[in-house]
Amino acid sequence: MIQFAQVSKRYPNGQDALRNVDLEIKSGEMAFLTGHSGAGKSTMLKLISLMERATSGQVIINGKNLNKVKRRKIPAVRRDIGMIFQDHRLLFDRSVFDNVALPLMIAGYDHREIGRRVRAALDKVGLLSKEKNTPIMLSGGEQQRVGIARAVVNKPPLLLADEPTGNLDPELSAEIMKLFEQFNQVGVSLLIASHDLSLLAQMHYRTLVMKEGRLVQDQIDDSPGINHGEEFHERDSDMGFFTKDGLDDLPDENSVGDSSGHHDEY
Amino acid sequence: MSIDSPSGASLNEGASLSARFKMLLRLHKIEAKRGLNDLLDNPFSNFMTVLVIAIALALPAGLQILLDNGKTLSQSWDGASRISLYLDITSSQSQTEQLAESLRKNPAVDRVNVIHPDQALKDFSARSGFADALAELDSNPLPPTLVIQPKATHTSPEISEQLLVEFKVLPGVEKAQLDLDWVRKLHALLELAEKAASALGLALGLAVLLIVGNTIRLSVQNRREEIEVVKLVGATDAFIRRPFLYTGFWYGLFAGVLCWLILEISLIWLDDPVTKLAGLYQSEFSINGLSLPQSLQLIGVSCGLGLLGSWLSVGRHIRNIEPR
Repeated sequence: MIQFAQVSKRYPNGQDALRNVDLEIKSGEMAFLTGHSGAGKSTMLKLISLMERATSGQVIINGKNLNKVKRRKIPAVRRDIGMIFQDHRLLFDRSVFDNVALPLMIAGYDHREIGRRVRAALDKVGLLSKEKNTPIMLSGGEQQRVGIARAVVNKPPLLLADEPTGNLDPELSAEIMKLFEQFNQVGVSLLIASHDLSLLAQMHYRTLVMKEGRLVQDQIDDSPGINHGEEFHERDSDMGFFTKDGLDDLPDENSVGDSSGHHDEY
Repeated sequence: MSIDSPSGASLNEGASLSARFKMLLRLHKIEAKRGLNDLLDNPFSNFMTVLVIAIALALPAGLQILLDNGKTLSQSWDGASRISLYLDITSSQSQTEQLAESLRKNPAVDRVNVIHPDQALKDFSARSGFADALAELDSNPLPPTLVIQPKATHTSPEISEQLLVEFKVLPGVEKAQLDLDWVRKLHALLELAEKAASALGLALGLAVLLIVGNTIRLSVQNRREEIEVVKLVGATDAFIRRPFLYTGFWYGLFAGVLCWLILEISLIWLDDPVTKLAGLYQSEFSINGLSLPQSLQLIGVSCGLGLLGSWLSVGRHIRNIEPR
């Protein structure tokens, strides 16, 4: 799903944000990215979402070499990636519904389809009753959940989260993480940047530690029952969001890797 | 989700071509409404913008109306290009009538008036106040005169001059005269004014583009954050451009209608004094306003300028906004 090969990034001001990073995150894998601020976490996410370009090396996402993606093709790449931000980045002059519907409107969906999918996504994050509110009327945790609904409504195979729990108390953070785990269980790949070490300690997932632009530790927690990528194939999901409401075409449903075949590349 | 589709777009299975087209229409409706709401959200400053555009358009359009009226007026003064032929003083009455008759058959000629020397002398002595002095004369010094009125299609200075040359060489014609000077001046003046109107129209059209462009630039900057967000969720430049183009279009439409109103009110205001003035010259002349096609043309040009101004501006400025 995500491949970094000898990737370096030097900003115009001369700062080396990434130095020769090699990394592979498999399809269906959930991983955390941690390190001090300035260690290169954000730069990594920016390279994946094409907000920045690598100075050297190759970034390959969904089998697509981002070095070869022209400017006009960037939107198409981004539609395959759900992004979640610390500051949520919601549009405050529009309703919760319209915020979540944005990726679908951009992709040109039929409005009935949009209604169905948006409500399914809001239901999943527990905000169905607030679809008519504007984000300003919601709490921080609720705003973050709107951001998550927006990121998953288009059913992207990959979710990126940049400090998604940065402004939330531990209880809300745990809730958000539970949501992420549920998405992961149906085959969505996740890369979550966070410096919330206590949270990471509870999560038992692959953790990538960055320091001064290098990947200094790649630690896979081998606790039982943890999802390291491909093994979720066997698992039958009981995920409401992805199976009920007839949304059986969500990220290749429970059978990532056999129906469409594109996950097989990894 | 076909990630390896050739287009690279992740338009999931759901959106068929016709569904996408319908969605596009719906989006246009939504964006048109949003563009309109943007204008109405800030009525005062947007009204100012619309007013500035309307005035900028009203100046050349108003000048054009005045010119059109000036042309109609100059056509109604076709008498200006009358040609007077002074015949040989020895011409007999029958010779004079013969010449007049042959001139009447000329396709360029509308009317020929014959003024006989006796008649001319009578008029002259009556009007000049030299009746006593004239009575002293042995013979009538005035020649027979033909006053030729060319057809309306032959009143331009060039053609009049051609006719003059043609008539000068007719047998029995002593002298041909055409009071061209002031007709020529009037035509030159109108031509100059027309050029000036075009130049003014061009300059002010450009100004409208700049006004709309600048307003849209500010609007893009105000919505910078929103643009970053929609770019992050995969919006194309075309998608981002759309509401701004609609805003430009609405500016143009409102300005066009307002400009039309300004012109109509000015014309109504001018009509009365013009009619009075024309009355003093025994003329039925009154100002012609904008016809329906002209009105639609005005509003159409205004909409076009609004759209073009925003299109020129928005493309450049949204390109510079990249999510951070």
